[in-house]
Amino acid sequence: MNERVDLNEFIGGFVVEADELLATANACLLEIDAAIAAGTSKPKAVRELFRALHTVKGLAGMVGVEPIMELAHALETLLRTADRAGGNLQRGAVDVSLQAVRAIGDRVRMVAEGRPVTPAPARLIEQIAATDASSETVSAPPPITTEWDSRLSTSERQQVGRELQAGIPAWTLSFVPSEERAARGITIATVRTALAAVGEIIKVAPRTQLDASGKQIGIRFDILLVGAATPERLAEILDAEPTTIQRIEVPVATPAGPALEPEHEPEPDPEVEVSRLGRSTVRVELGRLDELQDQLGAMIVSRFRLERELAAHAARGLDVRKLREVTDLQARQLRDLRRAILRVRMVRVAEIVEPLALLVRSVARTNHKDVRLELDVRDAELDKAVADRLLPALIHLVRNAVDHAIEPPDMRAAAGKPRTGTVRIACTELASKQLELRISDDGRGIDREAVARRAHKEIPDTTALLEVLTTPGFSTRDAVTQTSGRGVGMDIVKRVAVQELGGELALETQLGAGTTFTVRVPLTIAIVEVFSFECARQLFVVPVAAIEEIFELGDDRIEPPGQPAGSARDTRVTLIHRRGHALPLISLGARLAIEAETTAKNAMVIRHNGELIAFAIDRMLGRQEVVVRPVDDPLVRARGIAGATDLGDGRPTLVLDLSELGDRQERFGA
Amino acid sequence: MSLHVTFRVGNASYALPAAQVLHLESYETATHVPGAPPYVAGLVQVRGRLVPVVDLRARFGLPPIEHSLDRRVVVVQNGTRVAGLLVDSAREVVQIDEAAYEKPPEIIEEQASGFVSGVATAAKRLFLLVDVPRIIGEELSHG
Repeated sequence: MNERVDLNEFIGGFVVEADELLATANACLLEIDAAIAAGTSKPKAVRELFRALHTVKGLAGMVGVEPIMELAHALETLLRTADRAGGNLQRGAVDVSLQAVRAIGDRVRMVAEGRPVTPAPARLIEQIAATDASSETVSAPPPITTEWDSRLSTSERQQVGRELQAGIPAWTLSFVPSEERAARGITIATVRTALAAVGEIIKVAPRTQLDASGKQIGIRFDILLVGAATPERLAEILDAEPTTIQRIEVPVATPAGPALEPEHEPEPDPEVEVSRLGRSTVRVELGRLDELQDQLGAMIVSRFRLERELAAHAARGLDVRKLREVTDLQARQLRDLRRAILRVRMVRVAEIVEPLALLVRSVARTNHKDVRLELDVRDAELDKAVADRLLPALIHLVRNAVDHAIEPPDMRAAAGKPRTGTVRIACTELASKQLELRISDDGRGIDREAVARRAHKEIPDTTALLEVLTTPGFSTRDAVTQTSGRGVGMDIVKRVAVQELGGELALETQLGAGTTFTVRVPLTIAIVEVFSFECARQLFVVPVAAIEEIFELGDDRIEPPGQPAGSARDTRVTLIHRRGHALPLISLGARLAIEAETTAKNAMVIRHNGELIAFAIDRMLGRQEVVVRPVDDPLVRARGIAGATDLGDGRPTLVLDLSELGDRQERFGA
Repeated sequence: MSLHVTFRVGNASYALPAAQVLHLESYETATHVPGAPPYVAGLVQVRGRLVPVVDLRARFGLPPIEHSLDRRVVVVQNGTRVAGLLVDSAREVVQIDEAAYEKPPEIIEEQASGFVSGVATAAKRLFLLVDVPRIIGEELSHG
C-alpha cells in the first residue's frame, strides 16, 4: 500500500528468484564437475551457469546489493574466459565457483532477513580473479562457416570445431514449418526430437522467409547439427529434398592466438526459455497457505454451528430436509477444498534431496573420497512443513554416510569394492499416508562390537544398536569413528523423525557391506504456533491464533452475586474489569476439573460466539511452533483437547481448544 | 504352545499372548488428560507414537501404589488401536498352551469385573488372562 510495503514485496521476489537461480548455478557446477571427472566437458552447463549468474547480478543491481553484484561479476568474468575456451573448466575453478555461489547465497539470506549485507570477501574475489578458468590454453575458435560464425557463441564454435577435427560431420539444415506439415505431424518440436536422436543440435535459429520483393512469407528454422547421420535420413526427418542438406567441411586449422573478438554474451537458448515457460507455476509463501488453512478451519467450525442450529430446528419439528441437502453438499465441498489445499502444500521430494549432491561432493572432497549420490525418488511428494523439518535429519544421515561409512578409494579397492562409493536415497509412499525414505551406503557397515565397547553395554541386535547410536551425547567420533562407522548427530535424526514428526527410524547394517537407515514420516502434519503455559502445575499449549489478548491479573476481580459458593466447579465464573468492560473470567483449572486452588497470574482472552471470555491460568511460559498430532483414541478423547505435541522434552503436552471449553456445559450434554 | 508376556498387578499374576504386545516400556509419568475416564493414567510417547495408558490398578479397583521403578507399560495392539497397560511389574515371558486356557471361576470373574477371560497354568503357577478389548473399553469406540 505504501512504498515500503512495495519494496518489501520486491525484496521477497528478489529472494525467491535468486534462490532459484543459485540452485540452477549449483546444479550446473555439479554437472560440470561430473563431466571433468569423466574427462569430458559440458559447454551447455557452463553457458547456463553464466546466464544464471548474469541474471543474479542484474537482480542484485535492481535492489542495490553491491556485494552480490561484485561476486556475480567476478564469477561471470571467470566463466566468460571458460566459455571462450570451449566450455572447459578446471576443478579448481569449480571449487572457487561453488564457494562464490555459497557466498552469494549467504548474502541473499541477509537480504531476506533484513540484516545488513556484509561486503564480498576480498580474499574470495582475489581467488576468483587468480583462478585459471580453463584447463586448455585460451585460443580463438576456428571458423565454421561465415553464416554460422556470427550466430554461435565462442564455446559453441569451439565444440563444432572439435567435433569436426575428430571426423564427425556437421550439417546446416533448414526446416520450413507449414500447416500441411503440421497436419502430418511434422513440427519443429518433432524435428528437434528426431534430430536429437541422430546427432547433437548445436543451434536452432528461426529466420523470416522473404519472397523476391522482400515481403514476409513465413518462417524457417536454420539448424546446425553435429552427428554421423546420412543426408538421406536428415532429409527424411526434415521432410525436405536431400539436396538441401549441406555438410560443413573441416575448416583449415588456424594458428592459435589470444581471443580478440569482443565479449559477446551467449543468446539465451530458446529451448531452455520454452521449458521455463512451460512449467507454469506460481510461488506462494507458506504463510499464505497457512492463512488459507486457518480460514478453512474457521469455515468448518461455522459449518458445525450451522449443523447444530439445524438440529435444533429439526427438534422443534420444522422441516429441514432441503436445508440438510445443502449442508451435506457443503460438507463434501469443504472436504474437497481441504484436500485441494493440502495438495498445494506438497513439494517434490526430488527438490529437497537433489541439493544434497552438493553436500556429498564437498564432504567427499575434504575427506579425499570418491562418492556418488544416487537418487531414486521419482514423483514422490511431501508436505512442505514436513520437508523443512526433515531436511536437517537427511543432511546428518548423508553427511555421516560420506564422512564415516564410505571408505577411502584405496581401502575400497583392497576390499574388492568399486573405488567410488555410493550413497543412495530412495523413497516409497506407504498406504499408511507415510513416506518411507531409505538412505543407504555401500560403505564399511557399523561395527556393533566397537560401538558396544564404547557404550560400555551389550548390544544384542540392530534395534539396540540404533538405540545407542541415537542417545544424545553418544558419539563415535575420534579413533573409533574409523571402525564403528558412524559419527555424531544421530540423536538429532531421531528427534526430528520420531519425536517432532511422529515417524519411525530403523537401521540395517552389514559389516563390510553397508548400512541403510529407514525413515518413515507422515506425508502431512499440522504446524501451529502456540503459547505454552502452566495451569494447576500441568503444562499446556494453545494456538496463538485463538488468543485475543493476554494480561496480568490484578485484584480487580468481582464476585457476581447469585453464585452460591460451592456450586458445580464448572460454573465458577467471576467478572474482571478490562478496558472499561466486565469480562467473564473462568478458572481454567476448574473448567478442566484438575485443580483450581493455584494462584492465577495471567489471563488469556478468547472470542467465543462473538463475546470475549477470559481464562485464568497460572503463568505464561513462551511461544513456539509445534507439530500437533491428533489425540483420537476413545480412551483420551475429551472436551477441549484438540491434540498433543512434543515441546522437546519427549513427553506429550496437550493442545487445548479454549473455545470448546468456553461453551457452557449443558450445550455439550445436548 | 505360544509365548506370553506375564506381569503383576496387586497380588495376582497376569498373562497376555506375546503376539498382542508391541513392547514393554519403563514408566515415569504420563500426561494427565482432563476429562478422560479415571482409570486412564494419561498419554505417553512411545517411539514417537502417542499412546493412552490404562492404569490397571485403577481399572481393577485396587488402591494406587507409590512410585516404583518396577512399573512397566505393556504396549498392546488391538485392531487399529494401540494402548498401554500400566502394571506393577513385568519380567518374564513364559510358554503357555492356549488349549489349556480355562474359564475363570465365577467368583474371580465377578471380582475382576469381566477383565479376566481365562486362567492358565504354566511352570506350576497360575496366570490370569486379561481381556484387552474389555480393558481398553472397546465399547468406547462406538460411543
